[in-house]
Amino acid sequence: MAISLAESLHIGLADIATRKVRTAVTLFGIVLGVMSIMVVLAIVNGMNAVTLDWMQQRGGLNKIEIEPNWSYDYSRGGEATLSIREVDYLRSQLEGVEAFNPQVMSWGSIVQYRDQDFDASTFGVYPDLQKVEDWGLEKGRFINLEDIRNHNNVIVLGSTVAKSLFGNRNPLGQYVTLNKQQLMVIGVLQSKYWKNQGGGAFSGNVLEYMNRQAFVPLSTMIAKINPNLDITSVEIKVLSDEDISKIRRQIEGVLLNIKGGKDLFRVSSAKEEMQMMQKNMMIFSVIFFLIAVISLLVGGIVITNIMLASVKERTREIGVRMAVGARGKDILIQFLVQTMLITTLGGVFGILAGLSVLNVVQDFLDITVKAAPNMVWVALLVSASTGLMFGIGPAYKASKLDPVKALMED
Amino acid sequence: MAYNGKMFMEIIKTKGLVKDYELGKIKVRALNGVDLSIETGEFVAIMGPSGSGKSTLMHIIGCLDSPTEGDYYLDGTLVSKMRRNELAAIRNAKIGFVFQSFNLLPHLNILKNVELPLMYAGIAGKKRSLRAREILDSVGLSDRLRHKPGELSGGQRQRVAIARAIVNNPSIVLADEPTGNLDSTSGGDILEIFEQLHSLGNTVIMVTHDAAVAARADRIIQIHDGKIEDGD
Ligand SMILES: Nc1ncnc2c1ncn2[C@@H]1O[C@H](COP(=O)(O)OP(=O)(O)OP(=O)(O)O)[C@@H](O)[C@H]1O
Ligand SMILES: [Mg+2]
Repeated sequence: MAISLAESLHIGLADIATRKVRTAVTLFGIVLGVMSIMVVLAIVNGMNAVTLDWMQQRGGLNKIEIEPNWSYDYSRGGEATLSIREVDYLRSQLEGVEAFNPQVMSWGSIVQYRDQDFDASTFGVYPDLQKVEDWGLEKGRFINLEDIRNHNNVIVLGSTVAKSLFGNRNPLGQYVTLNKQQLMVIGVLQSKYWKNQGGGAFSGNVLEYMNRQAFVPLSTMIAKINPNLDITSVEIKVLSDEDISKIRRQIEGVLLNIKGGKDLFRVSSAKEEMQMMQKNMMIFSVIFFLIAVISLLVGGIVITNIMLASVKERTREIGVRMAVGARGKDILIQFLVQTMLITTLGGVFGILAGLSVLNVVQDFLDITVKAAPNMVWVALLVSASTGLMFGIGPAYKASKLDPVKALMED
Repeated sequence: MAYNGKMFMEIIKTKGLVKDYELGKIKVRALNGVDLSIETGEFVAIMGPSGSGKSTLMHIIGCLDSPTEGDYYLDGTLVSKMRRNELAAIRNAKIGFVFQSFNLLPHLNILKNVELPLMYAGIAGKKRSLRAREILDSVGLSDRLRHKPGELSGGQRQRVAIARAIVNNPSIVLADEPTGNLDSTSGGDILEIFEQLHSLGNTVIMVTHDAAVAARADRIIQIHDGKIEDGD
């Protein structure tokens, strides 16, 4: 039976109190190492939070987008467009889909109301756009299936479009003109807002472009407003418990089939895209991680040496303890607990130092860093294990001393 | 079976103890066949010239070291073949060792120093402190509990060391020149404590260079070149 852990903690703390300078020196490397770990974790955490938030704003992680494949060699023939029939066929082949929105887009179409006009991006869409984009209405209603079936002359405006054309007046029920067609305003979408905290090139509302969009039924767009347009993109939201990459591959298969084996479309899932982004950012984290590992390694080697010196200096004490009945493992635990106490103390300082430099790092690197509670546990665990790893050698040496020789040392 | 009674009284029994030290290629024989028998409650003085092997013998009797050859029975148990951890437990439970140079831990106050063997015996904090106070009281140091060893005189330090040696109620108290670092007055005080321990029934074995001190023991064992010369 060895002495209790509480006893060892007590001995360790008392000893640290009597050897403050040595403890401080020993702490230094660990403080640096743990501080770097805190910074790494905060950076990784910050990046994850930003990408996730960004993805959420763009309609969540369950989104799959079909777009023209810009890296396709169009000299091989084929066009990256889909007919309504092809789109319907695609829809019929898929399972686990929550929302499905094929769309056509016309750039720089002028929406007019009396003497005001606005240069908006107008889309012909399905009612599912709202679900896909996770986009609520500020007032009125969105396009419904009836509008699609009847080719109704209705339009839903982005918030900036509505504001520019109508100011404070109520746009609902008013008629606007788009490509000589009179369209009744049936709804106004909520304003989309997302700001990158880091600032720099992306300061301001990154999603403002969405507020400058306007939506009409897909059928109305193709039949009346702009007959030259083709469907070039489809947005799909899958049910949250579905295997998104499986569905993505399925879509790719159907499209290849339709287009005679030509990969005219790029199919991307938000989740996979985010994982890719995070993987790219991992390289960044790996660099910081290496810095942390190196400083912990250096700190650890310093600790081993200081503890070896400490064992040598305290040989007689070890002899005395053994003479009155301390077993090898009592001595081992005593030194090990003490080393781990010191490194954990270093960890605590490192955590504090890390937290206090986070703002500096954020401003200096112009990236979002974000602290999380679990970082503290990781940092404490790392510092305690550093103590364990680098303290075990000296502690073992102490435990194997010969009592008689140890007592004769001075 | 009448012999058994005598065996029981024999707390220390050694047969042909040999201890060799290797100094590079040279082998030093510190003990050269020591046969020794000490009975419970005896007060034995060990004498002999410097380098004759007194401390070496004390270390083996005190289970701090193992003999190169020979057998050592403590309280009827063969301890000479025991492993380190078993020896540590025996030291803790059965041996109280007093050194010439006190060997107190300088960072701990004297109460904590005396508590040390109790701590390694696994006795809880409260009980430990009570017992240590009691013993320090019996050696006249109850007013110095919070003092560090460095703040005490040599005689007082040796009294702390004795308190530490006896706090666990050991079977034997070993003292290797306990008055060697003390002036004659405090040395005399220390000897009185040992005599008192003996009178209370403790087995005391003491190494000394002083014939007058040795004369106060029940028996004197003379060591020469690692061998016992004559005992009576
Ligand atoms: N650790 C050691 N390594 C090598 N030789 C040793 C060691 N310890 C003791 N010796 C040798 O063993 C012999 C006996 O030493 P020991 O310390 O037992 O003598 P002692 O009788 O206690 O002497 P003193 O009266 O000076 O204390 C001496 O020759 C000594 O040099
Ligand atoms: Mg000696």
